[in-house]
Amino acid sequence: MSTPATRHASATDTREANPLAIVQEMMRACIQCGTCSASCPNASAMDLTPRHLWRLVQLGRMEKIFQSHTFTLCSACYYCSLRCPRGLNPSDAMAEFKQIAARGRMRQYGDTTHFCRDFVDNVRRNGRLQEMTLMTAYFMHMRRPTLPLRFASLGWKLQSKAKVSLPTLRRGAPKLEALFRKVEEMEGDGT
Amino acid sequence: MLRENYHAVIIGAGIAGIRSALDLAETGSDVLLIDRAAHPGGLLSRLDAQFPTDGCGMCKMLPLLERDSAEATCLRKGFFHERIDFLPATELSHLEGGPGRFAVRLKQTLQGVDPQLCIGCGACETVCPVDMPDDFNSGLSRSKAIHRVVPHAVVGAYVIDAAACTRCGACVPICPTGAIDLAFDRRKEFSILVVDDELSVRDSLKEWLLNEGFMNVQTAESGAEALTLLEQSDVKLLLIDVKMPGMDGVDLLKQAKADHPDRVAVMMTAYATVDTAVEAMKSGALDYLIKPFDPQAMLAMVNRVFQATVSVQERQVTAGAVILAGGMTLFDPGEGVNPYGYGTHPHVITSLAFERVLSGCGPSQGRLVRPADGKPLQRIAWLQCVGSRDCQISADFCSRICCMISLKEAVLAKNKSNDAVETTIFYTDMRTFGKSFEPYRRQAEEERGVNLVRARVHSVTASPESGDPLLRYAGLDGRMHEAEVDLVVLAAGFRPSPETEALAELTQAERNAWGFFQPQPFAAACSSAEGIYLAGACTEPVEINAALIQASAAALEAGRTLRRSGSQLALAEGPAAKGVAPDAPPRILAAICTCHGCLSETRNTEKLISGLTRDPAVVQVLFVDQLCGADGWGPLEAAIKDVAPNRLLVAACHPLRHSTHRRALSRRTGLPENLMTIVDMKIEPTEPQADTTARSLRTALGEHVLSASLQMGVAFLKHTDPTAPEREQVQRKALVIGGGTAGMHAALAIADMGYGVDLVEKENRLGGNLAWLHHTLEGHAVKPLLDQLDDRVIQHPKITLHLEHEVVNAVGRVGDFRTTVQNAQGRTEILRHGVTILATGGLEAETTAYGYGTHRAIVTQQALERQIGSGEADAAAWDVVAMIQCVGSREPSRDYCSRVCCPTAIKHALYLKEKNPRVQIYILYRDVMMTGFSESYYTEARRAGVVFIPYRPQQLPGVETSPDGIVTLSVRDPIAEVDLKIEANLLVLATGVVPRLPAKLAAFYGATLDSGGFFQEADSKWRPVDGLREGVFACGLALAPQTITEAAAAGQAAAQRALRILCHESLSAGHPTAAVRHSLCVLCQRCIDACPYGARSVDLEQRRLVVDPAMCQGCGACAAVCLNGAAILNHHGAGQMLAMIDAAVE
Repeated sequence: MSTPATRHASATDTREANPLAIVQEMMRACIQCGTCSASCPNASAMDLTPRHLWRLVQLGRMEKIFQSHTFTLCSACYYCSLRCPRGLNPSDAMAEFKQIAARGRMRQYGDTTHFCRDFVDNVRRNGRLQEMTLMTAYFMHMRRPTLPLRFASLGWKLQSKAKVSLPTLRRGAPKLEALFRKVEEMEGDGT
Repeated sequence: MLRENYHAVIIGAGIAGIRSALDLAETGSDVLLIDRAAHPGGLLSRLDAQFPTDGCGMCKMLPLLERDSAEATCLRKGFFHERIDFLPATELSHLEGGPGRFAVRLKQTLQGVDPQLCIGCGACETVCPVDMPDDFNSGLSRSKAIHRVVPHAVVGAYVIDAAACTRCGACVPICPTGAIDLAFDRRKEFSILVVDDELSVRDSLKEWLLNEGFMNVQTAESGAEALTLLEQSDVKLLLIDVKMPGMDGVDLLKQAKADHPDRVAVMMTAYATVDTAVEAMKSGALDYLIKPFDPQAMLAMVNRVFQATVSVQERQVTAGAVILAGGMTLFDPGEGVNPYGYGTHPHVITSLAFERVLSGCGPSQGRLVRPADGKPLQRIAWLQCVGSRDCQISADFCSRICCMISLKEAVLAKNKSNDAVETTIFYTDMRTFGKSFEPYRRQAEEERGVNLVRARVHSVTASPESGDPLLRYAGLDGRMHEAEVDLVVLAAGFRPSPETEALAELTQAERNAWGFFQPQPFAAACSSAEGIYLAGACTEPVEINAALIQASAAALEAGRTLRRSGSQLALAEGPAAKGVAPDAPPRILAAICTCHGCLSETRNTEKLISGLTRDPAVVQVLFVDQLCGADGWGPLEAAIKDVAPNRLLVAACHPLRHSTHRRALSRRTGLPENLMTIVDMKIEPTEPQADTTARSLRTALGEHVLSASLQMGVAFLKHTDPTAPEREQVQRKALVIGGGTAGMHAALAIADMGYGVDLVEKENRLGGNLAWLHHTLEGHAVKPLLDQLDDRVIQHPKITLHLEHEVVNAVGRVGDFRTTVQNAQGRTEILRHGVTILATGGLEAETTAYGYGTHRAIVTQQALERQIGSGEADAAAWDVVAMIQCVGSREPSRDYCSRVCCPTAIKHALYLKEKNPRVQIYILYRDVMMTGFSESYYTEARRAGVVFIPYRPQQLPGVETSPDGIVTLSVRDPIAEVDLKIEANLLVLATGVVPRLPAKLAAFYGATLDSGGFFQEADSKWRPVDGLREGVFACGLALAPQTITEAAAAGQAAAQRALRILCHESLSAGHPTAAVRHSLCVLCQRCIDACPYGARSVDLEQRRLVVDPAMCQGCGACAAVCLNGAAILNHHGAGQMLAMIDAAVE
């Protein structure tokens, strides 16, 4: 008797036809033991536990998965991957969901996707994070006039503790640019 | 005393090794049994109780026929059989040759205490200053460096842990029998040569070594000087500096090794020349030390070399076959990630450690308290699958037995606490795959209140307030839960035992991906190497009954090899002893052991002699020193030849210690064993003398009591009936009923050993279920197996085939059955045979559930397999296939798991996925019973995209059919919390296995059926293929749900058990046996109910109660229940007992 070989499907094959296929491929061997849910530090804030989510993946329930915000709350701490008895990588599967949401420009994840893009753009342009310009860009993209109000009190608190830096010169930019280009090259269409 | 030639060498003396050894010994083979541990019993020696009896039953393995060949005693105390030699602490070091002519080299590590001399008094333990964790109790209690090997051991009771012993020598003078040898003399003589160009190094090394007791240390400052010294003396160990002017260390090493390759050399090196030192190891250096080195490390290494030289004894024997029975070892949960804090959290222990907590000889003497702090246990949690079913640590297999161990431990904890303790088992799938497993689980859960939670605990932390373990898990409801318990028990999985790798190299037997030995397809006991067989858990973690079945099959295969290679199995027929005429007046020789001189010093021997010789039956009284050793038995043997007594009374220490000698003495002097009795003088050490710590021995019996004990012995012997038991002729032929996998294997096994077999089959063809099975889960085709078996059975000259015959009647008893068989035309024939093997097989259960029979798209797994076999199954035409498991199984009406359905469903799912990767497969299950290495196929099926949906028996899936050929299943997925509608092209039902063993047929042979209709074994764990009625065996599906390989092994095991009977021309009863005084018997039959061996029955023709002497084990239960004194125990009659009481009170 030998160990059965793991089946590997190429990521690019299935991406166009069925966006869920790649996550399904990653999480098929899940036996719903719940170790990931019990280990997740953010599980209490999630509307579906990770175990619930993987089950929906196995059952191919696209619509239910993309009604949930579970994967946007994954902070990629990899605790679940460390403990998974099936040797799976739920953290990477969560990241894959984020990619699917971004690539599909899913409205329900607009906040998250825009914030992520603006964050990356900001770093790329400035060589470091500039909180003021980040938030300005984010508010512009979101085109919701009331949105800044939601952040007002948080902004004030951060400002009072000097956690918000003022715009400075773009010193690090040329060095970082190469890095970002390389990532783009590696990821293809990327976010 | 070891023989030079054995029929078989068995490596590993756990229960499988013991079973194989006994099976071979009972069929006339001489067996050498070795174990790397200092005691037999393996893992089971640490488990006091097994389910379903919640007790021990190891002794049930002992021979029941010709039982005088072995000592009928607790196997935990010791293991004695006249054809089996046991070598403790022994490993295989070299193997050469092939089947029938293996040259076996063994390496035995001496344990520091001479087992022949040690009487187990324990004086040494009281003075030993080394306090260390007790391995036997999993480190939960403390022991000394010199300690009892197992708590119950009688012979070879004490051993020294060489690694922990400081050689302080305190135990040597205190041992009253001088059994302890710390090799001080050999240490003084052990010749060491230190070679270094620096004087300071030479001098300090010499001084350290002298302090450690090594008196023979020489030094040399150069290679040249060293070589001169080497020529002059026999140096055993060299300590060589690598870098020296002139000849360097490596050159010196090469030259020293060239002359004497067995010389041990250790290199000493500075950090800069470590590479050279490593290089030197290729030239034969044992190891190296980096300067400046810690003297302790250096001394430890020298001690290790010394121990290996002096305490290892090489032995060489020949053997016809080798059986590997090395078993398995517990996974260490402290390894790797260790999320459960094993070894760091004080209240987290393994299941094996919890067995010790439950044990009366455990760390808390069996009280249910927490090992670390003694707090009474109120809440205990078991965590399953620790180190099993874990792909992260390359353990994609199920350890199979942990579920039942945890259930049993929970029930035992409930028993101990009058149900007060709260028990919770956290599991993934509760794998209750055996025949009696499911009812046990039901009972545990529903009647005993063991809490079963389907969840995997993520981690164990300590509660901030109490420090108690805190478990965190995600419930099926999707919510997080926290539970605080007193103790966490990790149901740790199993790994191959540590010597497996070395054994594989020595024997060339292949191993699987997980390091266990790999059996051959359909032959569980055969390794890839010829003449090397596999027994028990060395091939896969297995439960007791499976291990024993495989062990018997291994014994069978070994026996077959022995026969093929022409080994002569000498089976002494009848008692070797001459026997004594019944009317001869008793002539008793009384031999009293003076036990290292203690008796002569403290006793008035004259008085003892006069007391004994007052009785004219006592012809002589003899004082002999050390009757426990060869020194004592020699003079005794001479005295027997001289005096020619017909009874022998021995007063010595524990009778078990004399088992082997007594047997040898009987053989040499012709005095029957039952006419020898041993009075236990209860020898114990005296209090230490005032001036020294030395102790001597004395008997714990007062003068009067000792005298009375001896008189009782005399009375016992005087009244012992010397008549040799009658022998009953054996019809040396077997009847096998059923020509399926198991039946054919059993028939071939017996026929190959030269005995005739009548094989009766109802159908007009052989093969049973093999006819429709296409391939196995592992991918082996079934047809070639069937063809091969069919050919061999038909062509075998010793097998008479009765196709289209049925058994219509049978009478008889072990050794002589008469069975009437009838063919289709009604012609009858009477067959005479000594043993009966029931292999009537089983069928797929019928069902009407889920609309079966109303729609052609609803089929059973068997039907699907037939379709696959015939090529009708068109996977490409199917989009969706659904399967429902446990149809009609594991319910009160059919309370067992059929075991083969889950592997079959997954086998079919993988087959369909391979033919059509687009097909969607849904398997609706309760617990996936993919035990052992079949677990990896479950993983494979999951990876292939098969969707598994659990359902509960309270909420069965709904099935609707439509005329267009679609079957719609509705089921709720408990995790996704969605109602699923599965529109399937095919619905496959796993209906399970039902036995085909008519109660009437079983009754012909005195066999009974269990609640599931299977053959009721004499003991489901310890006698897995035997019926309660001796001479009747079962195998295959008539015995229990089994795979092809398991059925084949069971067939061979049944054959091996049958061969124990067939190898005798006649059978004799052992001592004692029960008898009936017919004039007093009123046929109330209370004794029949009381007899645990089914040895008693009513002879309706004669209208009297009869006892089958071959089956009676002399337990005396009948004598105890008989109201009239009609049931008596020979050799323990009332007159004899009263005479003994008279002697005692005189």
